[in-house]
Amino acid sequence: MVLVPMLNLLALSLSDPARVSEVRGLTVFPKGFSLVNYRVLLANPLFMRSILNSVYITVVGTALNLLVTSMAAFALTRPKLPFKRFFMVLIVVVMILEPPLVAEYLVVKKIGLMNSLWAVILYKTVNVYYLIILMRYFEEIPPSLIEAAQVDGASNMTVLKNIVLPLSKPALATLGLFYGVFHWNEYFRASIYLTDPMKYPLQLILRQFVVLDDTASLIGSGALFSYDEAAQLSYDALQASTIVVAILPVLIVYPLILKYYARGVMEGGVKE
Amino acid sequence: MPALARKRDWTLLILLVPALAYFLVYHIIPIGGMTMAFQDYRIIGKSPFVGLKHFKMLFASPAFLQVLVNTLIISFMKIVLFFPLPIIFALMLNEVRNSLLRKFIQSTTYLPHFLSWVVIAGIWIAFLSPSSGGINQLRGIFGLPPRDYMTDKSAIRWVLFASETWRSLGWDSIIYMAALASISPSLYESADLDGAGAFQKMRFITLPELLPTMVTVFILNMGFFLNAGFDQVFNMMNDSVISVVDILDTYVYRIGLLNMQYSFSTAASLFKGVIGLVLILAAHQGSRKITGKGLW
Repeated sequence: MVLVPMLNLLALSLSDPARVSEVRGLTVFPKGFSLVNYRVLLANPLFMRSILNSVYITVVGTALNLLVTSMAAFALTRPKLPFKRFFMVLIVVVMILEPPLVAEYLVVKKIGLMNSLWAVILYKTVNVYYLIILMRYFEEIPPSLIEAAQVDGASNMTVLKNIVLPLSKPALATLGLFYGVFHWNEYFRASIYLTDPMKYPLQLILRQFVVLDDTASLIGSGALFSYDEAAQLSYDALQASTIVVAILPVLIVYPLILKYYARGVMEGGVKE
Repeated sequence: MPALARKRDWTLLILLVPALAYFLVYHIIPIGGMTMAFQDYRIIGKSPFVGLKHFKMLFASPAFLQVLVNTLIISFMKIVLFFPLPIIFALMLNEVRNSLLRKFIQSTTYLPHFLSWVVIAGIWIAFLSPSSGGINQLRGIFGLPPRDYMTDKSAIRWVLFASETWRSLGWDSIIYMAALASISPSLYESADLDGAGAFQKMRFITLPELLPTMVTVFILNMGFFLNAGFDQVFNMMNDSVISVVDILDTYVYRIGLLNMQYSFSTAASLFKGVIGLVLILAAHQGSRKITGKGLW
């Protein structure tokens, strides 16, 4: 039940264009074999650009997530942190109060991030649920290890970098994977903050092309017709190929997710 | 050294600065922006205070009341009707003794949880397509005429329910699988000695042992009753069915960012925020009382 609809799209995307009409809704193997759909997509500048944008947003975003979240989790788990109670209340407030969409939009606009990839990258820099999971993990690290380093004069940043982070690799890997999948899948903030189509991430192109069925946005950009086969290509098969490309990176990291998740790092944690 | 331990370390604040800056821009200042709901927002110049004008407009608007009804119906389907499914799935999966088969089922059913709703909508639109979709091919085999579910007002909410199930059935069963794994085998052994049948073991051991988990999951989900799943609805709705699937969050988006009625949209957000807050706090208290574990 889970696999058939996905395999069907894969089959459709790989089928020989001349035999696409033989692919029915329950077909799971391609009819003939051809990569022409993918060649056409890759030759499209808008599509290629969107893949690069998505990779950029995902890589920079995830690195920033891990850095900022672990710095905050470290500070928040230190007994010596000033105003600790105030910060903990602040976190709960952030967790349960959802700001109005319009208000967020106006703030992002006011600080000049409109049509900037940073508006998308910075969204959810700190996921409060993940922050709490990391805090619980950091609390498990024996305080004696940290105190010993501090007696030797190590700064907070050094302790975090040389002691806490190396001991937290499984937790960081898990959160990194979850943050990474989140960035790769994000489309909504991109749709409200980005105005230049050349900055769109893949998910947004996919939404226009497949969900809104706006074929002109992709087909319109001439590159497509440089192929002789283009005339006989089916939109359905091209749409299927776009979906496959969007799923592929998730499939690649999925075994890692299963592996780390199975280790029970997130026990009793993550909602969403 | 208790005195030393209690001494404040101000340099720790430096580590918090980036996270605080993020919270400030994306959460705290926008929360302050809720005051817009009581003003006529103007981009240039001072926004005049208008009291409850936008809230009165909101409750007088038939569109808003329909949106509210849609939200409640869709949430009811996705929280209450859906609720037993992962439990049943976990119980069935637990009976699969072949560990390879079980791993295969688990890894395939968890997968959709990691796909975006854009992708899932794409998959479902193709699968439900009246001309080439798998479901209508099946209907054809049974001699039924093709049906266009995506544009059918009487079907679309069930499409939301089915696709939510497709996405979450496996993932949401994990918590129950963990609870099942933690039931002590000795309970079943002594039941066997007493000559209990499979049904009795289910009724008197398995279900009571799962009850705390069920209660926690249910209560916590109730806290998010007004959400109803923006990304799903946003990607699966179209002009033919908008009247039955438009929910609070899609409404807020449309009137706010597409029609640029900033203050009116914020009033709708604030309404949802206040009720949502009450629900979440109630869920937190309820969960704490019954299971000793809250949301935070």
